[in-house]
Formats: sequence, structure tokens, C-alpha cells
Amino acid sequence: MSNTNPVVPEELRETVTLSSLDLMIDALGQVLSPVLSPIANLARSNSVWPLTFGTSCCAIEMMSVGMSAFDISRFGSEVFRATPRQADMILTAGTITRKMAPALITLYEQMPEPKYVIAMGACTVTGGMFNDSYSVVQGVDRIIPVDVYLPGCPPRPEGILDALLKLQQKIRTENYGDRRKKMYAQTSVRKVDYDTGRCLEDLLGVVKEDTTAALAKAPDTTT
Amino acid sequence: MTDEAKPEETKSDAKPEEVKPEAKAEAPKAEAKSTDSAPAEAAKPADTAKPAEAAAKPAAPAAAAPAKAAAPAKPAEPAKPPEPLEPAKFGQFLKEHGIASERQPDSCGVETIVIAGDQLEKTMRLLRNSSEIKLDLLLTVTGIDSADTFDSVYHLWSYSHLEQLVIKVLLKKADVAEGDLPTVPSLSNFWSAANWHERETYDLVGIRYTSHPYLRRILNPWDWEGHPLRRDYKQLVDALNDKNPHSMR
Amino acid sequence: MATEIQEIDLKTDEMIINMGPQHPATHGVLRLLLTLDGETVKHVEPVLGHLHRAQEWQGQNRTWFQYQALIDRVDYLSGMFTSWAMARACEQLDGVTVPERAEYLRVIVSEMNRITSHLLWLGTYLIDLGAMFGFPFYPFREREKLFDLLEEIAGQRMMFNYIRIGGVLRDPKPAWFDKLKAFLDEFPDRIDEYEAIVTQNPIFLKRTKGVGILKQSVATDYGVTGPCLRSSGIAMDLRRTRPYSIYPDIKFDVITFDKEGDTWDRYMARILEMRQCVDIIRQCVEKIPTGDIMGKKQMAGMRVKAGEGFAAVESPRGVLGCYVVSGGGEKAVRFRWRNPSFCNLTILPELLKGCPLSDIMAIFGSIDIILPDVDR
Repeated sequence: MSNTNPVVPEELRETVTLSSLDLMIDALGQVLSPVLSPIANLARSNSVWPLTFGTSCCAIEMMSVGMSAFDISRFGSEVFRATPRQADMILTAGTITRKMAPALITLYEQMPEPKYVIAMGACTVTGGMFNDSYSVVQGVDRIIPVDVYLPGCPPRPEGILDALLKLQQKIRTENYGDRRKKMYAQTSVRKVDYDTGRCLEDLLGVVKEDTTAALAKAPDTTT
Repeated sequence: MTDEAKPEETKSDAKPEEVKPEAKAEAPKAEAKSTDSAPAEAAKPADTAKPAEAAAKPAAPAAAAPAKAAAPAKPAEPAKPPEPLEPAKFGQFLKEHGIASERQPDSCGVETIVIAGDQLEKTMRLLRNSSEIKLDLLLTVTGIDSADTFDSVYHLWSYSHLEQLVIKVLLKKADVAEGDLPTVPSLSNFWSAANWHERETYDLVGIRYTSHPYLRRILNPWDWEGHPLRRDYKQLVDALNDKNPHSMR
Repeated sequence: MATEIQEIDLKTDEMIINMGPQHPATHGVLRLLLTLDGETVKHVEPVLGHLHRAQEWQGQNRTWFQYQALIDRVDYLSGMFTSWAMARACEQLDGVTVPERAEYLRVIVSEMNRITSHLLWLGTYLIDLGAMFGFPFYPFREREKLFDLLEEIAGQRMMFNYIRIGGVLRDPKPAWFDKLKAFLDEFPDRIDEYEAIVTQNPIFLKRTKGVGILKQSVATDYGVTGPCLRSSGIAMDLRRTRPYSIYPDIKFDVITFDKEGDTWDRYMARILEMRQCVDIIRQCVEKIPTGDIMGKKQMAGMRVKAGEGFAAVESPRGVLGCYVVSGGGEKAVRFRWRNPSFCNLTILPELLKGCPLSDIMAIFGSIDIILPDVDR
């Protein structure tokens, strides 16, 4: 990982070609970063717009926090965006089941950088009270990377505001260049198949095993 | 309905704690069956021949399992199978229309009857359309994985009067081939309320409803393997729900 | 000379469009596969299960005491009713008598929960119809007041865990009743405020009058219960038709409409129910006796006698029933929830046939479903 080139992951190396313009802009960004970062981070932290992603009970508390009694918009989250393309943050409010996991991953990937995730409620932090259930993903950090964990069942609206403030502090103190590099190197992102609700890696592993077994059994026609 | 003593034995002593509801389900005596079909009740080995003039005996009331009452009375011998219960209002009505049913102990005061699978459709049509009995609210279709049967339980209420009824179809596990699913005829073709309930029972318990227009899994993903509410269901453990060795649980 | 208008027969094809699971208006995660011909809906297939959390499986794998705490989430907007249905079913099996004061407290908190549920429905329904985030500020203001009261008595804003098998958990202080009375005095004015904004609003009328007419034969065929049914002319309210608890002592009418209801009638039924709840709570607060509040000792290893039974309550969405099979052990053998949302959602494909795209949300919202109730 040299300082001049951004880190490109192995799988994409053949498809991504960085022109010299890209490299120049990157270098410029690196140079100006100590000055621009704090300003950009301040601006970014004070207008984190969440996605309306409410699966279950926590969604009601998310609604309550958006209403006049607890008012999340005084902290900058003025609007909840319905489309991930315009949202900054997913507040995963509600249990994520295996059937819902691919949809959540799609939503997360549709969000443009910089994006943040607050795992709200016990169900998304570690699976919560459904910790031995056959259909619940045990914590949303198994499928998307999480920035702030917010326990509670459901957390009070004040708790959500506390999590938002912690996220804002995290944004203010982060170095965005490093975050971009980490983005490529995420290991916690798992793809989930739409029809079976199982991890794609596992399914591919099963398929590979089946293929090897079938090939081993197949009559040897080469000799 | 002939009065033949069908050789059936109850296993009410075998597993007293575990199979209480099943004991009650299977324990009631073999009501003599009409010739067309025998209800697929929890069939157990032969019962001590008991003349079935149980109709003369008053029906045992609800909550306490008759098996329980019989067992302590004679500890030395196998427990006397509980008296067959006299058919109550709905059982009589169905008998008049030629449908054999067996009465089980009431579920908290509600008449509970067991019907054979192939009589089910006729029964439901009758109960719903007859003008003197209008049980037209099908509350729920439940699937239960009991010790040796799969039960398909139908709760019926009415919109216009206060009657209630519970109908069960018991499918012996012994009758189901390996890898097959127990089958019950579907009600969805004439009673739309049953549609999704039957899909759910197929999904969770694994009872196949024949001639259902769209028997596809409804709550789990479409290609899910296994039926989660069965007793022998082994949960799939993969990266999404394995226990993190570092977790405190 | 008028030019002739030529009509061209355009060959159109049907589109299958996906709505949800993440959608601001699907009240949770419901996926609707719409087959559209232009803007008319030809067929709708709801795909459920995105919130299937295996709560019936949990019923078999948690002890009775543990499971009582977990079922508020089955229908989280009316958690009191789910607890009440389970409590009634288990009390039937066990033969437990619930003390009268506990019954009155149950009715009071449940009717308060009915008000919060209808208020949330009202707020989100207006969002569905396009009033965006402007209107819900009003009903949520009242919800916060009710939540404060419920938090005082139950300890939690939403997952109350208050109604237990055999009674209720905690006895409120006398000051609680005074605060409740103060709320009840001002609440009817608030409902008037909402009605002033919504009921005769021309946009609202245009979107809901004549839309989604639910015929009685369809309703009975699909097993519909609750305000949807009552607004279509069939008077079935469990509190009156199969009374339980102390409802026989309380004077109230069943709100039924006399013709087959459309969306506007379903809206109106819920508004009238909210007013009725105020009345019911007032009567209970006046009549509540002193005494014990718990009839069965709440302990970690508590058991329920063997047997099976079904009990239902009238939740804000319809008949919420609990079918429990007990083996006398420390865990149940089978727990089955008869959820009103699951059963009411089955009429959606029927109601949406031939509707324009914009009516989908109006009709869907008026059925008032909540997803964990559907998926368990």
C-alpha cells in the first residue's frame, strides 16, 4: 500500500484503471486533508440524514424521535430519506431476519459514501431476545459494518439521540482518507442469497463440494 | 355406526408427563367407525377389549385427562382406557349427516372433535352452509407436531351466534413415508380464510395440503429446508447465526 | 372544422413492480409484487416473512415466565392485548381467577393502548396518503402523554410486560388516576383537532371516498375482524358479542356502519373508537374497586396445567387469539397466535384488483396491519 496509490482490492484490480488525473486528485486530497478534513467533518456531522429503515418495534421509537417531543432535527437529521441514494446513515431499527438480510445489504450498497450505520436495538446489536431463533441474523454487524451500537429494547428516544451524538463525534474526529481505504478492505460484509436466506459463501462452498464429489464419482473418460 | 371393539391400546401410562395433550388426544376410545374410513387418530397397539357401550356412560368433562383418572385407580394393570365421550351437539349433527367423528375432551369448554382427513371438506362445507349451524368464521388452521401424530387443528367461530368448535385431523406419523409429508385436503378452494394459514402450516410444520392453489412457503424464504416447528428440526448454523466464541453467552 | 381524433390501439404489456420491503409506507417490511397494466393493478402478491422472528418457536423454547415478557413484540403497537390474550388462555387452563381490580386495570391500560395504536395508525396513514411528516406531529403529541402514563404504571414505554397470567404487575398510585383523568378531559378536544384537519379535507375525501369497498361476503369468507369488518356492516366486537373480563359492566356501543364500507368508513370507525375508549376508561376509573391485583404467584418456574385452550381479545386490529397447548411442563407444547393482521391482510389482493396505483396505499393503510403481527 504505497502512499500515492489508493488501495484497490484484488478482485477489482483488473477492472479498475486509475488515470493520472485520479492519481493527481488523490494526491491533492492527501495534501489538503489536514486543513479540509475538520471543516468537512464538521459540516458532515451536523447534517446526518437517516434512511427510513424501520423493520419492527424500534421503528416506532425512531418515529417518536423524529416527532416534536424528542425532535431529532435539532441535531441536524432534518429529513428522513426514503431512498438510500440520498441518505447518509442507516439506523437499523428492528430485527433483521435472513429473508430481509439481502435487502438490507442492497440498501447499504446503494448508499453513497460517506455512509454510517447505527445498529439500533438489541436485535441488531447481537440478535437480542431472538438469540437462538432460526431465522434471525444475530447482529447486523455480520452483514454490514457498524459504527455505533445502541442497545435497548427498544432504546428510548433519548438513547437514539445519544447514539447520534456519539456518531457525530466519531465523524468529527475521523480521517476520511483512511475511511475510504478501509472501505475496500471490509471483511464483515457478507452477501446473503435472496431465496434461501443463507450466506452466499456458504452456498458456493456447498456447490463446490458437490461438484468435487460428483467429479470424483464420474467415470474417468480421459484414459 | 357399528359397535365393534376395535383393538386399540392407549399408551397413557407410557410417557405421562410429556404426552398429556396427546394422551388426551389418543386416549379417547376407538369410537366405532363407519365403514368408509377410520379417522386417523393416534393409533396405538391393541386396547384391552372394552365393549363400546360407552355411549351409555356420561361424557367425561373437560380439563382433567380421563387417562389420569384411570391410571391411579389400578396401578397394577395397564390403565383403563378412558371412556369414549358421547358426541355432543356438533358431533350429533355430523353423525346425522353421515360423517363419523370422535369426540375429545373439551378444550376449555369448547367441543373438540376429530375427523378423518377425507371427510374434512364435506364437514366444513356442511358446518359453514347449513342454516341451523352457521360456523362461518374460520379463525385459524394450526399444525401441531405431537408425539406420534401431526395434527391439523381448525378453530371455528361464528359471526352471528356464539357457538365454537374445534376440529382436528390427526395424521399418524407411522403412516407417512420417509421423506414425504403428511397430507390433508385443503379448504382454500371454497374458504379463502384457510389459504394463508395452510401455507403457514406447510411452512412451519410440514403438512401438505392437497389441491391448495399456491402451496408455497410463506414465512420462511422460499427455498428454506426443513420445517422449523417440528420436534426433530435441526437449526441451520452458519455465519449469520453462529455463536461468536468471544461472546459472553 | 374539428380534427378527427384517431384512437390507436396501443399494445401494452404488464409490468411486475416490486414495492418494498423497505418502503416508507409499508408499515414495516412487507413486499408487494404488483402486476400492473399501465397504472391499474392487475394482481398483487404480498410476500411476507421479512420479519418472521420465530415467536411461536420461542413459545416452545422459553418457560412460561420468560415467554410472558417476550410476547409484547408480537404486536408491538398493542402489546397489552397480546399479553392479555396469552393471560386469558393460560388462566382458562389453570383455572385461575383474576381479581376484579386487576380486571379493571387491565381494561384501563388496554383501552389506553388502543388509543395509542389508533393514533399511530392515524399519523402513518396520513403519511401514506402524502401528508408527509406534517400531520403526525399532532397524534404523536398525545401518544407521548399516554406513554408517560403507561411508563409510570408498567415501567416501559412500549413493551409493557404488565398483564401477566393471573393479574397485573403493579398497582398505580392514586395520583396516576388524577393524571389519567386530566388527560381524558383534554383528549376529546384533540380528536376534534385531528378531525378538523382530516375528515372533511377535500384531498382526503377524494382519495378515500368510494375507494376499496369491502363487501360483507368477502369479509366473512376471508375471516376479517375488527374495525374493517364493523365498517362493512357486520357487528362483531368481542367486547360485546363474546364479552370477557368486566366488559359486561361497561356501557358502550359497538360502532358499526350500516352499509358496505370504503376506506373513509374504516377511518371513521377508528376515530369513533378512540372517542369510545375515552368513555370506557372514564367508567372504569370511576368503578374500580380496591383489592388484590394478582391471582397467581409470578415466579420463574411457574407452570400452567395441562390442556389446550383458545382465548381471544379484541385488539385494535381485530380478534387477537392465542391457542395454547400445555403439557403441564415448564414450557408450552405449542403456542399459536391468531393475529388479526395476518388474517386481514388476505383481503388485500381482493381489494386491490383493478385499482389505480395511487389507491394501493390508501387501501393498504386503511386495513391497519402491523408486520410482526403478520409474520410473528
